Amino acid sequence: MNLSSKFKNILTISNKELVDYIRDWRTLLAVVLVPLLMFPTIFFVLPIVLQSELDERQSLHLDIRVETNQDSSEIQFLLDGFSENLLNYSIFELDENININDTSMLMEGIKNLNYSSVLRLTYDSNTTIWEYYIVYDSTKESSGEAYLRISKILSDWEENLTSERISNEGLNEEAILNPVKPWEISQGDIATAGEQAGFVFSFIIPLFVSIWTATSGVQPSIDMTAGERERGTLESLLCSPCTRFELLLGKWLAVTCIVGVSIFLQLTGLVFAISFLMSGTFLEPPELSLTSILLFLVAVSVFGIMVVALEMAVSMRSRSVKEAGSILGPMMIFFFLPAIFAQFINLEGVELFWFAVPAVNVLLAMRELLQNEIYFMHVLVWIVSSLFYAGCATWYASRQFLREDLVESIS
Amino acid sequence: MSGLLLSVKNVTKSFGKINALENLSIDIQKGAVIGLVGSNGAGKTTFLRLLCGLYRPNSGNVVFIKDGIEDDIEKFRKSIGVLPESTGLYHRLTAWENIRYHSRLHGIDDTISWNRTLRFSKALSINEDLMRHTRGFSRGMRQKTALLRALAHGPEILLLDEPTAGLDVTSARLVRKLVLQLKEEGGTVIYSTHNLSEAEKVCDRIIIMHNGQLRFDGTNEDLLSETDTKSLEDAYVKLTNDDARIKDKVEQEGWFAKTWRQIFTRNIEYAFQEDE
Repeated sequence: MNLSSKFKNILTISNKELVDYIRDWRTLLAVVLVPLLMFPTIFFVLPIVLQSELDERQSLHLDIRVETNQDSSEIQFLLDGFSENLLNYSIFELDENININDTSMLMEGIKNLNYSSVLRLTYDSNTTIWEYYIVYDSTKESSGEAYLRISKILSDWEENLTSERISNEGLNEEAILNPVKPWEISQGDIATAGEQAGFVFSFIIPLFVSIWTATSGVQPSIDMTAGERERGTLESLLCSPCTRFELLLGKWLAVTCIVGVSIFLQLTGLVFAISFLMSGTFLEPPELSLTSILLFLVAVSVFGIMVVALEMAVSMRSRSVKEAGSILGPMMIFFFLPAIFAQFINLEGVELFWFAVPAVNVLLAMRELLQNEIYFMHVLVWIVSSLFYAGCATWYASRQFLREDLVESIS
Repeated sequence: MSGLLLSVKNVTKSFGKINALENLSIDIQKGAVIGLVGSNGAGKTTFLRLLCGLYRPNSGNVVFIKDGIEDDIEKFRKSIGVLPESTGLYHRLTAWENIRYHSRLHGIDDTISWNRTLRFSKALSINEDLMRHTRGFSRGMRQKTALLRALAHGPEILLLDEPTAGLDVTSARLVRKLVLQLKEEGGTVIYSTHNLSEAEKVCDRIIIMHNGQLRFDGTNEDLLSETDTKSLEDAYVKLTNDDARIKDKVEQEGWFAKTWRQIFTRNIEYAFQEDE
């Protein structure tokens, strides 16, 4: 069989797998719609929802209990603040004999929703210091909200008291409170907005890409290998004149296409969200050279080759979809952990060997490239090592396709 | 009938400690329709899988002969058409797409495979359903589509693994009729079945397998005369009666093996049928 007919076989297999796969509407949903809409949804809908929830929480009228050993006129500033911030307060005199640390009764009141939060406030006339604590329930939204409002009002009050005391002493408030301050210049950071964006994205995108690559390849890999075994379609295919390696390459090409499309759509969604929905904010598209972009695509591709080949090999060893899923699920951790780990490695002065560690190398490469930094030795090491690992993974997958028990299915 | 097409020489195939095929030697002539008969687990499917190269023998070899030259399966695969036990159709593809996919992998032009498919699909009364997705197909329609898929590339030898299993009477008859048509056209077919009467209707040679062994290889008449029986069913029962074999084995058992068997096989005692 000549090279062109081998190539033709690979394309025939790949073409059939893609047609078979995309005819399922659930696939289209998972591969096209979800990746495309994920980031625009997160960037656009999520802030709206969060803001609306925040507004709703801030508009709540909350009951609080204030216990103090002072007359209410002494804390008028606080009480005005409570009223302005929709906090309905009830003032109780603090018994001088009370154990200040005993909050059991207050807790009971909060648990029974009698009030959202309690402020205990005492004044020491010897030291002229106000001491306070707030009792609240962090697991209740209304109590947490009351705590936040009281804290903010207390902070304002403290600021006000400080200013008042400083001016009563005839001192310069600015000189006392702000003795060291930076010059107000237009820009101290010499990094451009694009470079800053690249720096931020170098922590986000490699992580996402590795997770997407690993997860989006799982389902098609299982479907085209263990799925075929389970459905009994593999036997007739193995009887055809195409070799097992052609079969592997055809299926691998199809899965890689699906993973590639999925990643491309997610990146498109991300770029769209940043360029249009987040324009004018701190997030801007990163400034990248053409070489960086091309090398980034190479990094994603070799990582994809390795991941897909491994997933297909593992799936091919399994007799059923369920078995493949139960193995591949926990296996994801071997892609996620390096992805998370690579975020903590300092890129400046990074040792060369990191660029040869499986999975970590590609993730570090992506980080460097997103910062528009290209070091020849780094690129050489990660390309050579990644191709080596991808080759090993493909070899291992091809060994699985040679197994005799492939024709046995549980169906 | 002319020339040798396929030769199976002293083939043994085992899976772990289980011998699926034991020292099997069979020659297949061109133009023959051979019935491979045996009960479940006799080794029929293993034998067919060996012929199409899905299994490799532990010992012995399978040789194909084309134009007088012997070759192994890898170079002969294009000439084989297989209908496996499970039809193996892709449910999201139409019947024709399933057939075309396999034909393309055999390097056959779409027009040629379409013409062949159309011809045989009429014989099987499925020509109206070729463009339908196979998801909604009945067992019979799936079997017929798989048969068309096996035929579309014009194989020299057709391996059919229980082609009428689960089919209604009409569909089974159509399948048998097609096999006879292929026989008339000089095609070679290996027809695996556990139905003796079906083998009698279609095949001109019967191979009986039992526990991975070849128990008989010859014509229907030879089978009756060799076993001294009046029906194929009696002949089959006589050939596959393993009581004598087990009796010999048990009698040869040592003390340890016998005790082991009695403990771990819940003290099974064999009841042997008396020879008539």
